[in-house]
Amino acid sequence: MANIDVFVPSTLEEAVAFLAHHGDRAIPIAGGTDVMIDTRIGRISPEWLVDLRALSGLSGIEYDANGFRIGALTRIRSIELDQGLRQRSTALVEAARVLGSVQVRTMATIGGNLCHATPSAEMPPALLVHHGIAEIAGPDGIRSIPLGQLFVGPGHTSLEPGEILVRVTCKAANPSSASSAGSCYLRQTVRWAMDLAGVGVAASIEVDEAKVVSGAKLALSAVAPVPLEVDVVSDMLVGKELTPQLTKEVGRVAAEACSPISDVRGTAEYRRQVVAALVPRALYIAWLRATQNWPVGKLAPINGVLSEEE
Amino acid sequence: MLVELKVNGFPYRREVAPDTTLLTYLREVLELTGTKWGCLTGDCGACTVLVDGEPVVSCLQLACQVSGHEVTTVEGLDTAGELNDLQAHFVSNGASQCGFCTPGMLMSAEALLRNNPDPSEAEVREALSGNLCRCTGYNKIVDAVLETAKARAMAVSAVPDLSGSSSSVGS
Amino acid sequence: MSETLLAEFQVIGQRLSKLDAPQKVTGRTVYADDMHIPGLLVGAILRSPHPHARIRSIDTTEAERLPGVAAVIHAGNVTQRRFGYGQDNIPLKTDKVRCIGDEVAAVAAVDDETAKRALELIKVDYEVLPGVFDPFEALSETAPVIHDERVDITGNISMRWDFDHGDVEAAAAEAAVIVEGDYSAPQAAPAPIETHVVIASFDPNGHLTVWSPVHMVFMYRKALADCLGLDWRRITIIQPPVGGSFGGKIDIEAHDFITVMLAQKAGRPVKLAMTREEEFIGARTRQPIHFHMRTGADAEGNLLFRDAEVVSDNGAYNAWGSHAMLVAMNTITSMYRVPNSRIRCAVVYTNKNYGGSVRGFGNPQATFAVEQQMEELADALGMDPMDLRLRNANQTGDITPQGLEITSCGLSECLEIVRRQSRWDERRGKMRQRNRGLGAAAYIHVGGGARIYGSDGCGAMIKIDDSGQVTLITGASEIGQGSETVLAMIVAEEMGVPVSAVAVINSNTDIKPWDVGVHASRTTFVAGNAARMAAKIARDRLLETASAVLGAPADQLRIRDGIVEVIGEPGRSMDYARIVRRRLLHEEGSVVMATAFYDPPTHNQDKEYVGNISASYGFGAHVAEVEVDPETGMVKLLNLWTAHDVGRALNPMTVEGQIEGGTAMGVGLALSEEIVFVDGRVAAPNFHDYGMPTAVDVPRIEVNLVETIDELGPYGAKGIGEGGIIPPPAAIANAIADATGIRPRAYPMRPWKVKHWIDTNERSYVIVSTDRSEKRESN
Repeated sequence: MANIDVFVPSTLEEAVAFLAHHGDRAIPIAGGTDVMIDTRIGRISPEWLVDLRALSGLSGIEYDANGFRIGALTRIRSIELDQGLRQRSTALVEAARVLGSVQVRTMATIGGNLCHATPSAEMPPALLVHHGIAEIAGPDGIRSIPLGQLFVGPGHTSLEPGEILVRVTCKAANPSSASSAGSCYLRQTVRWAMDLAGVGVAASIEVDEAKVVSGAKLALSAVAPVPLEVDVVSDMLVGKELTPQLTKEVGRVAAEACSPISDVRGTAEYRRQVVAALVPRALYIAWLRATQNWPVGKLAPINGVLSEEE
Repeated sequence: MLVELKVNGFPYRREVAPDTTLLTYLREVLELTGTKWGCLTGDCGACTVLVDGEPVVSCLQLACQVSGHEVTTVEGLDTAGELNDLQAHFVSNGASQCGFCTPGMLMSAEALLRNNPDPSEAEVREALSGNLCRCTGYNKIVDAVLETAKARAMAVSAVPDLSGSSSSVGS
Repeated sequence: MSETLLAEFQVIGQRLSKLDAPQKVTGRTVYADDMHIPGLLVGAILRSPHPHARIRSIDTTEAERLPGVAAVIHAGNVTQRRFGYGQDNIPLKTDKVRCIGDEVAAVAAVDDETAKRALELIKVDYEVLPGVFDPFEALSETAPVIHDERVDITGNISMRWDFDHGDVEAAAAEAAVIVEGDYSAPQAAPAPIETHVVIASFDPNGHLTVWSPVHMVFMYRKALADCLGLDWRRITIIQPPVGGSFGGKIDIEAHDFITVMLAQKAGRPVKLAMTREEEFIGARTRQPIHFHMRTGADAEGNLLFRDAEVVSDNGAYNAWGSHAMLVAMNTITSMYRVPNSRIRCAVVYTNKNYGGSVRGFGNPQATFAVEQQMEELADALGMDPMDLRLRNANQTGDITPQGLEITSCGLSECLEIVRRQSRWDERRGKMRQRNRGLGAAAYIHVGGGARIYGSDGCGAMIKIDDSGQVTLITGASEIGQGSETVLAMIVAEEMGVPVSAVAVINSNTDIKPWDVGVHASRTTFVAGNAARMAAKIARDRLLETASAVLGAPADQLRIRDGIVEVIGEPGRSMDYARIVRRRLLHEEGSVVMATAFYDPPTHNQDKEYVGNISASYGFGAHVAEVEVDPETGMVKLLNLWTAHDVGRALNPMTVEGQIEGGTAMGVGLALSEEIVFVDGRVAAPNFHDYGMPTAVDVPRIEVNLVETIDELGPYGAKGIGEGGIIPPPAAIANAIADATGIRPRAYPMRPWKVKHWIDTNERSYVIVSTDRSEKRESN
C-alpha cells in the first residue's frame, strides 16, 4: 500500500457524497478483510479508503413476522452466533460459520462479503434462498433491488459510483408461527476449515401441514461468474412430497444450469458433479428442518454427509 | 493521522500514516514485537490480537479504524512476570515448539475461553482453525486449552457462592 | 518403560517443559524480524516474471536515483561465484533466468516502500524462451535445454541415481504375484510460519556478521565465503530463534548471498525479509517425484524384488532436493527385507521453483509407492497386509542391500501396536458400505545421523563457573524441536546437577564448536552423545577435586541433585558448587572445563550407493481411518494411530511433539498441500490455496513410543525428527482404497482427484504368474 488516505464520514450522506465525488479513486472499507488484501497485492489501488464502520444504524439483525433484516455492517461472527437466525435461516448461519476464521468473521461484514462479489462467497446463496432484497443508498436516495441483481461478475456489482449497500431484507418463517420452513448451506472444500468453497449450495424448503412442499429455493456459489439462483427448483418441487428421486433430479438440473470454470480448485466437470451431489443433501436437510425432523439449532456437517456413528 | 489505543492497559497516542495496519502500529511503532506475522493475508493467524476482547488478524486491521479501542496482545497476558494460566498450560503441555504461532494461538484461545468457558475438543479445534501451527500437530495446543478451561471452571466452582443460586460449573 | 529403568535416571525420561517455552508464551523471544539494529536498511529482490528467458540488459539508472536508495545490485556490478551441486546456480542471474522467482537484481533502501518503488524502476529486457514444466516432457529430445552451459550433462538430466542388487528379472520370473503401478508426489512446501529473514552487517574492519534463522551454520558460512570470495575466518553467523524450518531453512539460498552483497555495497546493515508469496515462488520446496514401481512376492508372501523407474522433478537448479533420492533409495531397497532391487532414476531440470530439503527428505514420496504396493500385494495374495508386513519386517541384526546395519528394530512391535489399537483385524475391509476404510504404512529412516560429508560430527564444550552454573556450548541448533532442553537434560543427568543449573549456548559460530547442523533427525543422537561425553569428562574432573576434599576415592563418589556424596555415607557430602569453588579459588586453581567431539561410526556410501550412513535406524507404523464421500471425493480423516521406535524417549513430551508435528505435516501432504503450477507460474502463492492443515483437519494423533534402547544412542535414544511425516500419505491412500476399492495414484488426494479415480475405477494392476497373463484386479 502506498500513501492511501482514510476518510471517516460521520453520516451516510457524507459517505455517499464522498464516494460519488471520488469515483474509482475511493473504495469503501468496513471490516477490511478483502480490501486490505486487494490493496496489498495491487488488485486495487485507491487513493482513499472510506471507513464506513462509524456509520450508525447499519449494523444489527432485526426480525419481524415476515423475516429478518441485516444491516450491511453486521459482522459475520454476529450472524454465526445469532440464535434467532439459527431458527429462521440455518443456511445463513451455516454459511457464516465456514467463512474464513473466527478472526476474519469477527472483522468481516456481510455488506463487504456481498459487495466484494467473489463468485465463491458464502453469504450470497444463503441470502438468495431467503428472497434477499438489497437496500442501496446513493446520491438519489434509497433504492431496493433483488439481491441477485447486485452481482454482475467476479468482483463487480451493479452499484453506481457513490452507492453503498446498507441492508439486506429476507423472508423467513417466524419460528413461532404455524408455517414450517427450513434451510441449509453445504459446501465442498479441500480443507475442512479456512478454505474457499469449491462449490457452495444453499437450499430452502417450506412445507404445508401435509408435508407437501409449498416453497423451494436453491442457490449456488462458485459455479458461475455470479451467485446463481436455480429458479426451476420451485416448479419441480412445489406441490410435491420430497423424495430422493426428486432431489436427485433437481441436482441434475442444477448441475446443467451452472457454468463452472476449471481452475486449481477443480475442473468444471467435477464442480457439476459436486453440485449434483450437494443439492439433494441440502434440500433434504432443509426439508428435515421444515418438517421438524432435525434437532433445533444443530448445524449440519459441512458437506452434508450424515454418517452413522459406530 | 493520530491513533490512540489502549494496549495491554496502557494508553498510547501516536501519529501514523493513515494506511498503517494495527500489526505495524504494534510491532514497529510501539515495538511490541510479541505479535508475529506470517502471511499478511489473514490466513495464518500469527498476528492475532484482541480488540475489545474479540480476536482479529492485526495484519488486515487498519490501526485508525480501532482508534480509541482496547487492544490486548500476548504481552498483556502475563502479569508482573507471572504467566497466566493459559500460558502456563501451554508451557506444561509442550504446546509451543518454535513458538512463532504461539502468540496468535494464545490470543485465539483466550478469546474462546472468555466466550465459551467450557468448550468441547471440537469447539477448541474450530476456534483455533484460523491459527496455523506447523510444529505441534495441534494435539498439545488443544490439550493446553482444554486443561485451562477445566482449571478455570474448578477455580470458579471453588469460590463460595454468594448469590444463593447453585453454580455448578465444571466437569 | 519398567519401573527399574525409570529409577536408573534422575532426569532422563521426564516430561520436562521446554526451557524456552516461558519466553515463547510471553512473546519475549526475539526472532530475526524482531531485532533492532541501528542504521538498518531494507533489502528487496527483483525476481523474474518469466519461467525461461534470456536477460538482454538491465537498466538500474532510475532506481539508483531514487532518494532513499542505498544500493542497487545486479550481475553486472557484483563479484559472485556459482553455487549449488554441479555449480549450476548463481545468486544474481547473469545470462538467463530459468524459473519465475529467479533473482535478477536487488536494492537496499531506507524503508519497504522505497525499496519496492526502486524495484519497479529497474528495467530488465528479456528475450522470452520456451519453457518446459513437465519432467517427462523435459526428457524429450526436442525439449528446450535449461542448462545449456552445463557441458557435463546431456539434455535436461541433471543427475542419475541408479542402483542394482541381485537379479530383479530372475526374481520377477519366480514371483507368484507382481503389482505394478504409478505413484506421484507433488511439489510441496516446508512452510514454516516465519518466513526467511536475513540481516547482514560488515563492521568497519570488514568482519561480516549475518543473523539468519538457518541451522547448518558452519556450512552456511563456508558457502557464503566460497560464493562471495570472502575470508571465512572473518564471518560470524548468529542464529536467532528459528520460527520453524522443517528443512526450509537448511539450505543457503540466493537471497542469503544477495543480502550480504547489498550490505557490502551499501556499507550499512541490511535486512531482507521474504514475504509469504516469495516463500512459495522463491524459496525451496519439496521435490516432486514420480515412481513407476513393481513389487513381487512368492505365494507365501515373501518379498522377492522391488523395481523402480523414477523421475525426480528437479526444477530449475540443483539444491538439496536433487539428492532426495538418497533417502528415497533407502526406502525402496531397505523397507522390509527385499532380496533383489533395481532403481533407475533421472533427476530432470524443469523451469519451475526447485526442490530443497524438507522434513522426511524423499521418504514420504518413496513410502507412498512402497507401502501402497505392500497392501496391493497382500490383497492380490489374499493375505492380510499386516501379516505381509510382519513376515517381511526388518529385524535387529539385518544388513540391507545398501549396507544399512540395523542394530535395533522395533518395526514389528510398532505394527502390532497400531494393528491392535485400530482394531484392524475386525474392521479392515469391512466398512466399505459406510465409505470408511483403514490403511497402514510403515517406514525406515536414519536415526543415528546421516553421513553425507567427511564428518557427521558435533562438538560440545562444558564449563562450570564459581556459581555452579554448568554451561553447555554445543554445535547443535535449537529450531523449536527442543534440542536445548534435551541436551540440558543429558548434561544434568550425566553430572547429577539440576536441569535449572544448566545453560545452553548454541547460536554463534564464533563461540560454538563445529557441527554439521540440524538435519536428518540427527541432533539428539549426535549432539546428545557429544554433550554426554563432555559432561562425563566434566563430572570426572569435579570428582577428582571432590575426592581430595571429601577424602574418599573418586570411584566411591557420586553426584545427585547437585550434592557430591560418598556412596553409602550420606553424611560425607558437599554441594557440587562448593567443590567447584574449592578447585578454583586459590593459587594454581583451575576451572572445570571439558570438550568432546562425537562422530558416529558410520561410512559414506560408495559409488554403488552402498555404505552404512547412519549409526542407527528409526522405524514406525501408522494406521489411518478415513471416511470418503464418494460423490464429492471429500476425505475426512477420522483417526490416526502411530507407533514409533524412538530407541528411548529422553523427554517423552518433546518426542511426542516431534511425532505429532511430523504426522500433521504428513496429513497435509496426503490430503491438501500442493504448490500448483500453471505454465511455470505458481497459481496461488498463498497459505489459503496451499492448504496447510488446520486444527480441524488433523484428528487427535495417537502416539505410542516403542523403546528399543539403541546400543549407540545417548541412553539408547534414536532420532525421531522426521519419522512422523513419512507414513501418512501412504497410510491414508491405503485407507481410501479400503473405503472405496479404488487405488490412489498421487497425493495430495484432493477431492477432485479422489472423485476422478472413483469415476474411472482406478485399480491395482496385478500380474499373477499361474498363467503369466496380465490382468487388472480389484482390491
